Amino acid sequence: MSLTAIFLQQLANGLILGSFYALVALGYSMVYGVIKLLNFAHGDLYMVGAFAGFGSLALFSGWLGAGWAGIVPSILLSMLAVGLLGVLIDRVAYRPLRDAPKLSVLITALAVSMVLENTVLAATGGQFTAFSTDLGFAGIDLGLVHVTYTQMVLVGTSVVLMVVLELFVSRTRYGRAMRAIAIDQDACRLMGIDVNRTIALTFFIGSALAAASGVLAGVYYGSINFFMGFLIGLKAFTAAVIGGIGNIPGAMLGGLLLGLLEAFGTQIPGIGGQWKDVFVFAFLILFLVFRPTGLLGKPEVERM
Amino acid sequence: MTIGTTKRVVRTGGVAAAVVALAMGLGVAGTMPAQAATIQIGAQVPTSGSEAPYGIDMLNAIRMAADQINAKGGVLGDKISIVPGDSACDPQAAVNAASKLVSQGVTGVVGGYCSGATLPTLKIYGDAHVPFVITASNSTALIGANPGNAFMVNSTGYDQVKTAVDLFKAKGIKTIAIINEGDAYSADLARLTRAAWEKMGDKVVDYEVVSKGEQDFSAVVTKIRSAKPDAVFWTAYYADGALLLKQLRQGGYSGMIALGDGSNSSKLFQLAGAAANGVFCFSNPTANFLPSAKTFTADYRKQFHQAPGPYSTLSYDGMMLMAHAIQVAGSTDKAKIIAALKSTNGFKGVAGPITFTPKNTLARSNFVVLQGAGGKWTLYTGPGAPKMP
Repeated sequence: MSLTAIFLQQLANGLILGSFYALVALGYSMVYGVIKLLNFAHGDLYMVGAFAGFGSLALFSGWLGAGWAGIVPSILLSMLAVGLLGVLIDRVAYRPLRDAPKLSVLITALAVSMVLENTVLAATGGQFTAFSTDLGFAGIDLGLVHVTYTQMVLVGTSVVLMVVLELFVSRTRYGRAMRAIAIDQDACRLMGIDVNRTIALTFFIGSALAAASGVLAGVYYGSINFFMGFLIGLKAFTAAVIGGIGNIPGAMLGGLLLGLLEAFGTQIPGIGGQWKDVFVFAFLILFLVFRPTGLLGKPEVERM
Repeated sequence: MTIGTTKRVVRTGGVAAAVVALAMGLGVAGTMPAQAATIQIGAQVPTSGSEAPYGIDMLNAIRMAADQINAKGGVLGDKISIVPGDSACDPQAAVNAASKLVSQGVTGVVGGYCSGATLPTLKIYGDAHVPFVITASNSTALIGANPGNAFMVNSTGYDQVKTAVDLFKAKGIKTIAIINEGDAYSADLARLTRAAWEKMGDKVVDYEVVSKGEQDFSAVVTKIRSAKPDAVFWTAYYADGALLLKQLRQGGYSGMIALGDGSNSSKLFQLAGAAANGVFCFSNPTANFLPSAKTFTADYRKQFHQAPGPYSTLSYDGMMLMAHAIQVAGSTDKAKIIAALKSTNGFKGVAGPITFTPKNTLARSNFVVLQGAGGKWTLYTGPGAPKMP
């Protein structure tokens, strides 16, 4: 492989991986933006989404096949199911703690994460499950880089979901309500906004996005397990922070940047490989030292 | 008052003496013939916990060997009786099981599945001078910790490295890439392979450590492709290995791929699909790949109504070897049995002949090479394959 080919291939690798991070980071960022909660269960919703998608595909593949015709409805069903699970989690675990100290909610989020992970562990026996589809390696050659159709659909889906979300938050009444709650919950209540319903909606959308990402990961990598949400949850959180937590375009940028850093970090001769994560997270520390609000985050103004 | 007390003491004393006498009488009656008729052999295997299926399978094979020996009249005219000790694949449980076996006075011990659990038991058997035939555990850490009474009938990491290097050489491989996950097992295998390969003057063009549980190997795949190795050697487990080899093929790598014995699972084919075809994997000698294990497999199926598992042949061989050593020693004297084990020369096991090195490991590796074909593992017998027993 020529240097240019390596560069382009790692660019493609980074963008594909980054779009996964970005989708998961969006949910993190949205929830944080609205109720200032680091929802550590978010990575596990991605994992539950993958399993829900696996179950749905088993259901649909009988009459729609295991190609995209069966996968698309599976993604939608999984998004709906996990979206509702997100709402349920908020109702049961977070809403009663709305006025409690932030630390209590944070610990609750960790507990929810453990509950989800271990429930799936118990249900699947910890086995790696093969997520088999009919998608092949077919694709097109873009100059020096071979890109499969699956990869294109994947990145395409991520981009479409991100754009729709951004439009939803910036252009609709519900989106405006979310942004308003982010600024002042009490004022919103006085203005007649149903705060709890809007927060539930935020959880629905964030969880549904994580589910979509989880199913896509299952389809793409072909293997799912109860622990798959842990690492990506951590990385997505990093991506959200790099982008400026609470900021939607920031989460996308952060995700893509993290994906690219990992891809090119691996390629660095001599170090690379085993040092990739050191490289990535050292960058995160440096970045936050010099730009604590992230790429697109605005410094918070404490009002008197 | 005083008289009454004395009386009571006398009566109690009498009862106590009678009980002791009765117990002694029963003891004499109960143990004397038993001691004359059985030789107790401990079977240290995990019969509970996550590894229980493998442990029960080993126990079955050990019992089957004992039954066959007993059917032919036993050893030195005595029958063998198996005493199971559950190691649960846990160091603490294994130590408890070993202490129990020793205090029960077993003549020898056969088994040992998880290396981590077997390691601390070496000292217990060593202190009691109990001969121990290890039939599955094969970490190189066991070799140095062996007080001299333990004998490993499963090939170790060094043998796997040799099997791998021999295969690469026979296939005309010049450069290799080694990928591991940084855990003790896979890093050890990777490090030993790199040392052996570079010692022969050949090149390791890429040496990577990936995080356990990572799903995306695309960047590593691109790096491997840019380093252009003739072969890629994955030394870790099947779940992540399946993803790597799938992405290697997807990324356009068409060279040889070899996997360490941790990836020897039929699950690999479910996870990697067609990408697993043609891939090589090193494996301990399992019954289904050994032409010499036909009778063993038939007997096992007949007795337990299931196919023998991965370590059953070695466990069977281990029990047979122990019986052979007792026969050679001519008594159940433990030191004599250890000496007999040490002088084992070409003992004919189902999984191959057994002769020990000065370090009590197999002189001749019994690793086999498997190749993926049509969604399952098949025995590879082409150039570079180890000679079959």
